[in-house]
Amino acid sequence: MLGAEVTFDVALPKVVWGWLVSTNMWAKSIATGSFLLGLYFIKKYPDNDNFFRKWIPILGLIFIGITLLVTVLDLHHMFRFWKIFLFAHFTSAVTLGAWVVSGFVVILLISFWSWASGNKKLFDRFMIPGAVLAFFSTIYTAGIMGQSTAREIWIFPAEMIQMLLSAAIAGSAAYLIVMFLYNIQNESIKRELGYILLGSAFLSGLMYVGELMFAKMHSEFSYEVAKILAFGELAPFFWIGMILTFVVPMVMVGIANEKKKYEYLPMAGASAIFGLWFIKHAWLLGPQMLPLS
Amino acid sequence: MKLGFLVDLSRCMGCMACAVSCKAENDVPLNSWRLRVKYIDQGEFPEVKRHFVPLRCNHCENAPCERICPVSALHYLPNGIVNVDHNRCIGCASCMMACPYNAIYIDPITNSADKCTYCAHRIEVGMMPACVVACPTHANIFGDLDDPESEISKYLKEHKDVMVRKPELNTKPKHFYVRGSTVALDPLASERPEGYTLFTEVKFLDHIGGH
Repeated sequence: MLGAEVTFDVALPKVVWGWLVSTNMWAKSIATGSFLLGLYFIKKYPDNDNFFRKWIPILGLIFIGITLLVTVLDLHHMFRFWKIFLFAHFTSAVTLGAWVVSGFVVILLISFWSWASGNKKLFDRFMIPGAVLAFFSTIYTAGIMGQSTAREIWIFPAEMIQMLLSAAIAGSAAYLIVMFLYNIQNESIKRELGYILLGSAFLSGLMYVGELMFAKMHSEFSYEVAKILAFGELAPFFWIGMILTFVVPMVMVGIANEKKKYEYLPMAGASAIFGLWFIKHAWLLGPQMLPLS
Repeated sequence: MKLGFLVDLSRCMGCMACAVSCKAENDVPLNSWRLRVKYIDQGEFPEVKRHFVPLRCNHCENAPCERICPVSALHYLPNGIVNVDHNRCIGCASCMMACPYNAIYIDPITNSADKCTYCAHRIEVGMMPACVVACPTHANIFGDLDDPESEISKYLKEHKDVMVRKPELNTKPKHFYVRGSTVALDPLASERPEGYTLFTEVKFLDHIGGH
């Protein structure tokens, strides 16, 4: 007997979660990344904390707002969203995410009030719970991907690390762009943001390359997904994402920090933020390209 | 009680009676299926073989759809059936992302997730699922897996070649196949080229989340 071919079947659904979900993950990376990195810089540079105390709530609320908007828009019953709180099923990472992100929004509102009223101590009291909620808001999507048993290439530990690295990339990139737009001159903060972007882009890119190289070891499904990403219909998204998110920022930050040409840093940030959407989108769609039955 | 299903693939002749009766019984809308029969042709003339595979929800004991559903719209009944509450569903499609058997769809009329429930409404009043009744060759065998005297339990005991789909995922399906093959049960073991075939157009649907 030679090969086999499906000759009669119903039309199967292909993409269940599309660009709204990619945008959810992308925007959430910016919101949580800018929060976590903002806290780090407030602690490390207390004399220059005003910039971060201002931009933590602004970036956070804008991008978590986008996250929540696209999440609700993606529901087939968007006006039943409240049921996630009233009929919460806590084995689901979706439920846990909804609760954690709601808590994170409250912290962002407190940080906004703290900045607007000039009451720094108010936000200081909520920094630790805020960091915990931002951390879990970052990784809960990895939990959803891990629970998506059908999509074997998504493994929780790897996705969790990818989500944290995405947050570091997006957060540092967002601050580099804001510092450029508002002409904030602080060489040491810029350099450090650059190195965070470089390091997280390197590690995240390495993980994707690792998946391409080793996916065939976990399952046939993963191997087929890796082939679709590298050479198939998602290859343009995947490779644009890889180049813009990882290669371009690493090169530009390297030049900027070594040659002290800091005008390259916002370009590195823009490239990373733009590319991050593409890589997220490709990674989301990849396992949806194959028939499950 | 633990209800289960078994399909003897050597008896299935691909007549679609099960699929049609399921649609009629459960008012399944056009473009949606709770149960479908897939044809797979294998080999090269003159050594050819056709496999018929009825595919429905596996009512897993360790159901990924039940676990990921944020509002418990997908839930277990005491008899082991994984049931859907359409009024509870928020339409997040997580269940579709989690189910490794592609058994769940979003009903275009109710906008809620739906799937085979082993005809829970019929079982409740002592009837067999519609597909079991409609099958002309008794390829569908349904019953209580906990009862050693049930037909399904005896069938499972008598046959050595019992298979489930994707056992490596540890979902513990309660839907079994006898006289099956990897080609029939593993979607990656056969090609699925899009386009017209002898019978129909094999294709994928566009993005179902676009609304």
